[in-house]
Amino acid sequence: MFNPLLELSRWLQDTPLRLELSQSTWAVPIIGAMHVLAIAWFGGSVLVNDPRLRRFRWIGLSILLLTGALLFWSQPVRLYYSQFFRLKMLLMVLIGASALLPARHARWAMPFSLALWVGVILASRGIAYR
Amino acid sequence: MPLENSWLFPVIESIHVIGLAAFVGTVVLGDLRTLGLVRAAPPSLTRWTHSGLAIMLVTGAIMFFADTARYLHNPAFQVKIALLVAALIVHFALRRSGTRLAALLSLTLWTTVVLAARAIADFDV
Repeated sequence: MFNPLLELSRWLQDTPLRLELSQSTWAVPIIGAMHVLAIAWFGGSVLVNDPRLRRFRWIGLSILLLTGALLFWSQPVRLYYSQFFRLKMLLMVLIGASALLPARHARWAMPFSLALWVGVILASRGIAYR
Repeated sequence: MPLENSWLFPVIESIHVIGLAAFVGTVVLGDLRTLGLVRAAPPSLTRWTHSGLAIMLVTGAIMFFADTARYLHNPAFQVKIALLVAALIVHFALRRSGTRLAALLSLTLWTTVVLAARAIADFDV
């Protein structure tokens, strides 16, 4: 059966960039560290929840997504089969969906999305193990 | 079962990272405001900052005591602790002065603490 996600992972696995990333001593540790810094940047501005920080928040989220994409690129096939990576992606889809809810749900959307982010961080740590 | 091999270890690691978001996130925000790079930030961040710091210190200590030998011989951990001590001194002694130098030092030190911390897993011997 044709599996587009697995095919994409396999295709990424064979790209020169994947080879560069996984063979370099420093690339993945540095990108990983930037990913964690972006968690602080983005997470801090979400917790403070001040509408004036919107641009600051978007910068943090962009760094988070960009470094995350590169980390995925460094070992796409392993991550495709990782249970915790799948859980993380599922939770992120739910966060994206909750962000699209109409504004009148804002009162419970915030705690809901915070709980989902806690789940994302927990699942992320799990990826290192399984 | 020793803690370092238990499912509890990644959970504690995760709580450490959540504390990081609250602590380093709000410290960075305050420092960028002092430097004039963020114009608006709420006046009182200390509640988040101190809760985050408390969470980090407790979970950090638990992880350290779960496997002291691993950490004491890890060069990235040694660098991290040296930077952490410097960062905490700057945080509690200099940062309240509100000078741009203190903000710059605080930003640099906390950034390098996170970089060194992340590198611990890469320097296991």
